[in-house]
Amino acid sequence: MSQKHGTWDWMLAVDFFFSGMGAAMLLFAGIAEFVLENGYLSTIGIFAGAIFIMIGSGILIFELGRPFQSWRVFMKPTTLMSFGAWNMTIAIGAGILLGTTWINLFPWFGIIWIRKILALVCIITGFIVAAYPGLLLAMNKARPFWTGSGMVVIFFVSSLLTGLAGYMVCGLFGDASPVIYGIFPYVAAGLCFLQLVVWISYILSKTSGISDREAITTERWIKGNYAAPFKIGVLLIGTVVPFILFVVPNLIVVVIASLLTILGGLIMRNLVIYAGQDRTWLPGEIEYRSKLPHGDEAFLQKVWTKKI
Amino acid sequence: MARYVMVIDTRKCIACHACTVACRVNNELPIDMIYNPVTTVGPEGKFPHLRMLHIPLLCMHCGNAPCVSVCPTGASIQRNDGIVWIDEKKCVSCKACIMACPYGARISNDQTGTVQKCDFCKDERVDQGFVPYCVQTCHQNARIFGDIEDTESEVFRLINTSKTKGRLLEDLGTEPGVYYLY
Amino acid sequence: MNTLDLNQEGVEIKKSVCFFCHQNCGCNVYVKDGEIIHFEGDPEYMVNSGALCPRGNVNLIHLDHEARVNFPLKRKGPRGAGEWERITWEQAIEEVGAKLEEIRKDFGAEAVATAGGTSRTDDWARRRFMNLFGSPNGFHNAHLCWIPTFMVETAIYGWCPFEIDLGMSKCIVLWGQNPGASTFPEMSALSALKEKGLKIIVIDPRYTESAAKADLWIPLLPASDLALALAWINVIIYEGYADYDFAYEHCVGFDELTEHVEEYTPEWAAPLTGLNPELIREGAIMYATNKPGNIQWGVAVDQMGKPSGATMHARAILRAITGNLDCPGGDLLTGPSQEFITDEEMELNDALSEEQRAKQLGSDKFKLLTWPGYSRIAELTKNYWGKAPTAEWMCEAHPPTVYNAILTGEPYPVKALLVSATNPVNSYGESEKVLEALKEVDFLVTCDYWLTPTAMLSDYVFPIAGSFERPTITSTYGCSDFLMCSQRAIQPMYERRTDFEFWRDLGVSLGQKENWKWDTLEDAYFERIKDLGYGVDSYDEFVELYRFHFPERQYYKYLERGGFATPSGKVEIYSSVLEELGYPPLPEYIPPVENAIDHPELAKEYPLTLTTGAGINPFHHSEHFQIKELRFIRHEPYMEINPETAAEYGIKNEDWVWIETKRGRIKQKAKLTEGIGPGVIYTERGWWYPERDMRDPELGGCLESNTNVLTSVADENCDPITGTWANRGLLCKVYKVENSEVKGVE
Ligand SMILES: Nc1nc2c(c(=O)[nH]1)N[C@H]1C(S)=C(S)[C@@H](COP(=O)(O)OP(=O)(O)OC[C@H]3O[C@@H](n4cnc5c(=O)[nH]c(N)nc54)[C@H](O)[C@@H]3O)O[C@H]1N2
Ligand SMILES: Nc1nc2c(c(=O)[nH]1)N[C@H]1C(S)=C(S)[C@@H](COP(=O)(O)OP(=O)(O)OC[C@H]3O[C@@H](n4cnc5c(=O)[nH]c(N)nc54)[C@H](O)[C@@H]3O)O[C@H]1N2
Ligand code: SF4
Ligand code: SF4
Ligand code: SF4
Ligand code: SF4
Ligand code: SF4
Ligand SMILES: [Mo]
Repeated sequence: MSQKHGTWDWMLAVDFFFSGMGAAMLLFAGIAEFVLENGYLSTIGIFAGAIFIMIGSGILIFELGRPFQSWRVFMKPTTLMSFGAWNMTIAIGAGILLGTTWINLFPWFGIIWIRKILALVCIITGFIVAAYPGLLLAMNKARPFWTGSGMVVIFFVSSLLTGLAGYMVCGLFGDASPVIYGIFPYVAAGLCFLQLVVWISYILSKTSGISDREAITTERWIKGNYAAPFKIGVLLIGTVVPFILFVVPNLIVVVIASLLTILGGLIMRNLVIYAGQDRTWLPGEIEYRSKLPHGDEAFLQKVWTKKI
Repeated sequence: MARYVMVIDTRKCIACHACTVACRVNNELPIDMIYNPVTTVGPEGKFPHLRMLHIPLLCMHCGNAPCVSVCPTGASIQRNDGIVWIDEKKCVSCKACIMACPYGARISNDQTGTVQKCDFCKDERVDQGFVPYCVQTCHQNARIFGDIEDTESEVFRLINTSKTKGRLLEDLGTEPGVYYLY
Repeated sequence: MNTLDLNQEGVEIKKSVCFFCHQNCGCNVYVKDGEIIHFEGDPEYMVNSGALCPRGNVNLIHLDHEARVNFPLKRKGPRGAGEWERITWEQAIEEVGAKLEEIRKDFGAEAVATAGGTSRTDDWARRRFMNLFGSPNGFHNAHLCWIPTFMVETAIYGWCPFEIDLGMSKCIVLWGQNPGASTFPEMSALSALKEKGLKIIVIDPRYTESAAKADLWIPLLPASDLALALAWINVIIYEGYADYDFAYEHCVGFDELTEHVEEYTPEWAAPLTGLNPELIREGAIMYATNKPGNIQWGVAVDQMGKPSGATMHARAILRAITGNLDCPGGDLLTGPSQEFITDEEMELNDALSEEQRAKQLGSDKFKLLTWPGYSRIAELTKNYWGKAPTAEWMCEAHPPTVYNAILTGEPYPVKALLVSATNPVNSYGESEKVLEALKEVDFLVTCDYWLTPTAMLSDYVFPIAGSFERPTITSTYGCSDFLMCSQRAIQPMYERRTDFEFWRDLGVSLGQKENWKWDTLEDAYFERIKDLGYGVDSYDEFVELYRFHFPERQYYKYLERGGFATPSGKVEIYSSVLEELGYPPLPEYIPPVENAIDHPELAKEYPLTLTTGAGINPFHHSEHFQIKELRFIRHEPYMEINPETAAEYGIKNEDWVWIETKRGRIKQKAKLTEGIGPGVIYTERGWWYPERDMRDPELGGCLESNTNVLTSVADENCDPITGTWANRGLLCKVYKVENSEVKGVE
């Protein structure tokens, strides 16, 4: 069919996931620059961060109806989406450059002030890219499940968590700063706990109904078709289990915990994006749409050609 | 400055769907694209004590249009007379506006890779001084179009005299430009 | 649509009409170099004042749709194989004419029959041809559509009050009518007048678009209308609401009636109608006390079979005893036009000999709509009005009897069927029989826009000019006293021609030349209007300058004309015409043709009460199912069932279900709704699937969801007076279609 009531789908979820994780990784890299005495976290980690954002935005471009016109999304920076696009682009650039400052092939290797400036840019853009997808959804009054500031917190926390996880995985390859396996697991555990709290209170606040439409769309998370993936995928495997594993002082276990949070983050974003398909249906609208043809009906396929 | 609105008298609509067909045929929409559905609520109640309403829909040409404020390309535009339309040259179908619209008024067209919607027939009708196709074709006069700023207009009269009127999802602050009488 | 300049050089605006239903909504058609560049509803045309229904909007799609028949087709392969040879119009006419001549020689003219549908086209020409050819066996499914009403009412007060003076009315009864789906101009008038206080009563088993806007909805059981009407008469007489002056001064038989209806109390009617007696009373009183009032014709009453005639009689009596006849705001007896040439005068009915008239199939059983009754009515109306009602429609062979003659050769063989403007498999009763007959008849010719199942089985198919390709005179089956005239926007495309040309050319090929002197349909129309005194030289000129002819409205014509067009000159509540023809002079109660009380055995197997068909949008009977823009709005057939009843049979919303009667079964999807009473089933009409294989045996799935598979045309189920058969008040059962069986349906 030419027509699709076209709502956002998995592509956007994956985009949000990668950009969020990548952005958080750059954010941490930037912070490390200022708090750690040698400022070093993990070169691979930094590159991975930039690349994740690239993957994210790449997918976003393919999600567009006209990928070759994608440059147009930069046209109105005053809009959140355009603003996000700018920040992603800058973050990618800054991230890659920051990475190179740790590689002695490059002339600017070791020039501290350059590193500091890039780090600062990574902090700012990283923070924005990690937070804005949540904001993008939260602004949609039309989508009862998204609307409200809660989404921002949820996405930001998840980005930070998966960002840490990203480092703990990347740490396996190439030399990693001791903080990655020293402190990060405990911070991650803390974020897992926070994520659990945030989600539970989010669902509760939605069901206790700011408006009954919000309560209605939230039902599927509790009893409906989202309940299983949400409770098992997001809360148990993606949050509670890693929370426990992270405090186990063992590299393998920590890496497994990281992978679990990443998996959880992916599932979570997909659920959230698809939950946005529930609009506030207008009177009689569901009945009306359910009776419309799907597009494969014989009468639609039929082509009469013969002029008799 | 004009502010175009539509008044829909649900007491008159009989869900004949002429408006839907008129819109599709005259605006040459893809066979499966509908800007202005007409839904039916009911019969509600228990036989034989019943109630039934038909609700013609379309873009609400919101005074405070979220679809416009989210559009990153500037393709979604609101004219000073309130008409919200899409400049398809600029649209990349990012669907931000579809998600932002509380009324399902926006539809993405996979063939053109753009999003489309009701534009109050601005080019062929309103700007030529005619009422929109769906209004013209309605033999029950259930759809009434006009300029609410014009105190002589029928829409002004209906909106200001009728007691039983309302707008859809007003609480979202979209300031819909479509008023329902019931 | 790219904004095109309609004021550009060389653009003409033609005053045409949409031809997709009786309303004939006015259209302004913009034509340049013989091509239509744009069209719109005509704002000045009072019927639609610029508006159009869904069908009206697809006129240009319909005009050149890929599936249209554009050239005369001659069958190549076996019947129904869909192998056609394209031939010229002249050759087609020659060959068909020769074949008819041969049949007339071997079997007599009566062996040639012609089937029509609802009033669509110039059927005076069909009648003219048949009269000259010598066959009395023309018919339409007119029996299901207003004609019985017209004739019964004319028998009782000398004309049918189909024109209602709504503007001044205080109350309207929509009796088995749903203008909200079927007659949009009327509906908008009703909504407007309702705001000014008009009371609307809807008598309908279904909660329709119109019922939803009514002051009172009376959801009676299908085909129980007679019980309701009799109870209303009882209330009005016995509770003192009658107009006694009118009843005694201008009617005969009021005392007999009073006695006759004594036992027909609301309490008596309650169990028969499934209504609460108080509701029956309320309705009667609302109608009788809000005067002047109207009872609007609804087609449902024409389709109940056996009880139909008596129901119309009772309904007519209601008008009389409330004094709502021919008064301001009431139901007007306009009579035929005194000014222009009517359809009947174009038909040459005198050309048909008494001997041939006597052979008219069904005229021995069903007398009012056939020559016996028609001659009597014509005699009376000619004496009174100077003119008779249109014979095409009002005087026809009984369709089921003709189909039987084709199948059995009894009472005599019918060898040729000329089908024009109908899709018989779909619209006539007991479709399986009709289909057999279409396959059985020796020679089948179809005139249509499309290759309908009937056309697919034909030997020849003629391509017919439609909307915008033909001029149109709108005059209510040729019985109105007014005219609304419209012109063609363009000459017919391809080799399409009008039905008039078909009958004329066929006539000419059979030696009727001197009786067909008109070159064009416009010439024929001009002859009809030229003496109206508008001083125009052509039909088109009349359309462009005047377009309408409305005589001044007269009330109480019976006063200065000295009575009514009946034998007694009064309103014959006690009908001498019906009595002469051997029918009860007063309406006696007749139950629905199938019902649990009289047929307990049948009711065991078929426990539910069925009514089949009603106007639905965006379709017109079996038309427009090819047009995707319309079909998209409603692409599958739905039957209606009350949730309670559905639960009993394990049927859920949207399930495909079988609906079965003694005659056969069909598939439609279940719509569970409180809008219909428990135990009552309603099925949609018109359904077939033109997108499917149209060759025999598939024939576009023309039986699969076709509601007329369920109806009954058995003589004992037909109305003895009018011959109308039973679409309403039948017994049926419903059950879920097994998934394996759903395959068939798309
Ligand atoms: N069970 C049940 N049966 C019913 C009814 C019901 O309510 N229930 N309704 C009844 C009623 S009210 C009616 S009027 C009949 C209608 O019955 P029909 O008049 O037979 O209606 P259609 O089936 O639409 O057939 C009309 C055919 O004529 C063609 N046509 C249209 N215009 C023209 C024209 O100008 N010239 C020619 N040559 N062909 C044309 C169309 O393409 C179509 O194929 O059905 C009756 N049958
Ligand atoms: N959209 C559309 N419009 C049409 C047509 C069409 O096919 N489609 N057909 C045209 C034609 S030919 C005609 S004749 C007119 C007819 O137009 P109407 O006279 O309005 O007749 P319908 O709409 O066929 O049915 C009227 C109502 O009768 C109800 N009914 C069913 N059984 C019974 C019963 O036993 N008793 C009573 N009292 N009511 C019953 C049905 O529920 C239906 O709502 O419509 C014309 N207009
Ligand atoms: S055309 Fe008018 S009456 Fe028909 S559905 Fe549309 S709004 Fe309702
Ligand atoms: S209805 Fe939707 S598309 Fe129309 S103006 Fe409002 S938000 Fe925009
Ligand atoms: S889909 Fe088109 S119109 Fe809508 S927001 Fe994106 S660019 Fe703007
Ligand atoms: S105003 Fe025009 S575009 Fe909008 S729904 Fe009506 S006909 Fe369609
Ligand atoms: S089909 Fe519709 S538009 Fe055409 S004449 Fe009938 S009511 Fe009018
Ligand atoms: Mo009809």
